[in-house]
Amino acid sequence: MGLRGSKPTFDDSSNVVYFIQIPLRGLRVPNLSPFPLKLETYLRMAKIPHESIMISTLSSKGKTPWIRHRGKDVADSQFCIEYLNKQFGVNLNEHLTKEQQAVSRAILKMVEENLYWVLVCYRWFFCDPKDLGLAQSFPWLIYAFIRRRVRGFANGQGMGRHSPEEIFQIGKLDFKALSDYLGEKKFLFGDQPSETDCSAFGMLAQFVFSNIESPHCALIKKEFPNLERYCHTMRNTFWPDWDQVLKGDASSTKL
Amino acid sequence: MHCNCGNTKLLIAAAGAVAASAFILLKFCRKKKLTFNDDSNVVYLVQLPRGKRVPSISPFPLKLETYLRVAKIPYENVFSSQFSTKGKTPWIHHRGTDLGDSQFCIEYLNKQFNVDINAHLTKEQRGVARAFLKMVEENLYWVLACARWVFGSPSRAGFPSSMNSLVLYFIQRKVKQYAYAQGMARHSAKEVFHIGKLDYQALSDFLGDKKFLFGDKPCETDCGVFGMLAQVVFNQPDSPHYEVIKKEFPNLERFCWSMREAYWPDWDQVLEKA
Repeated sequence: MGLRGSKPTFDDSSNVVYFIQIPLRGLRVPNLSPFPLKLETYLRMAKIPHESIMISTLSSKGKTPWIRHRGKDVADSQFCIEYLNKQFGVNLNEHLTKEQQAVSRAILKMVEENLYWVLVCYRWFFCDPKDLGLAQSFPWLIYAFIRRRVRGFANGQGMGRHSPEEIFQIGKLDFKALSDYLGEKKFLFGDQPSETDCSAFGMLAQFVFSNIESPHCALIKKEFPNLERYCHTMRNTFWPDWDQVLKGDASSTKL
Repeated sequence: MHCNCGNTKLLIAAAGAVAASAFILLKFCRKKKLTFNDDSNVVYLVQLPRGKRVPSISPFPLKLETYLRVAKIPYENVFSSQFSTKGKTPWIHHRGTDLGDSQFCIEYLNKQFNVDINAHLTKEQRGVARAFLKMVEENLYWVLACARWVFGSPSRAGFPSSMNSLVLYFIQRKVKQYAYAQGMARHSAKEVFHIGKLDYQALSDFLGDKKFLFGDKPCETDCGVFGMLAQVVFNQPDSPHYEVIKKEFPNLERFCWSMREAYWPDWDQVLEKA
């Protein structure tokens, strides 16, 4: 699986959003990367017609996912959401107060810029490769190459400088914050989901559904069961075809 | 016999330049052995030398020192370019223990001194406080790092005198590498500014008319937010970030002044004289 994938062809006269995600189909999650799962959940929540393309072509920023819409490529899941909100007149945060929108932003960043690195460090440095939960295994040489790059990134970002116990503790504090804020609510801000729910779900699903052998999953089950309940709620609401997607039967949402 | 005088002179000049650079770099990085009194209960806070406009040109030492003042924990500053075992600043030394990372330091000190400046927060507020702390330290931090070190040439204005241009050059190289690794430097300058503005918006909307983030008493996150915003509000008055705060989020500037007046009455006295 190389990272220089083929360039797909798009119908730029159509209003369909082409959603390009790296082919990291998991055994237990639609994508092992939280950002494609976030963006696809958003597309479903916002009812935006889209077609998923699973190829290894990365975005102009060297990341996944990205979208193409009417001839325009947009990289970065959050920039994609901002673009699509404008294009399709969508605002999944409309029902939030100004203060809630602020909290929503803070939680989004905690999840994507902090908890994300806890996940990365666990998966690439502490987890047995066979527990990665990939539907198709990596050739070992590619795994080793990616692992080396990720080590460099994690050290540069900072999380990679901590010990395994410290990283676990950092993750635990993030889970606690999410759990305490969620409380008994169905979604983060009540009965209606919002943008940040897509991101929180994209990230938590990795621990709850994919890395079921991890100490993080055990911790969530024991101390933060409302986070597991929340993941099931999001999955049941926006991914009724979850099992089909994993088997590759659904064409991953063509609305 | 052919004389290579020109080449020899060039070689001598190059050797001289390398030696001078090494001397200047070593002068900054020289690891003078630090000595501490381990019988005392004083916390030694090891950080970079004072700035000319802010007590620290890095947000994390300013956060930690502000926390020590809010929590009224006795401490003594040790100004040194010696980094922690994790290769970062600040770090602390207390009763024989060295500890790096500002947040781990706070957790350690909370236990050692039986302090909890978050005690007045509800469970839900603590969750929100954690989220804002992480937004500021793991997102806004990289926005400001890119603005200062990645896009354009960094200015020495406000920096400690001991940080000369050569030191700044090496810092810039490292920060560019780290910011790319973290991801922020993959965006354009305009995109990074937009990301920062959304963070300022969130902070401003949440703060509203309150004195501190959660009311009339500051908490740990106020220390983190102050450490970060002070870099813009007090240290970079010419930056577009300060301009947007002044124009669109004036309560953030007001917050910085509240924190400074409450916990840094000696602000002007501690700064390095310009």
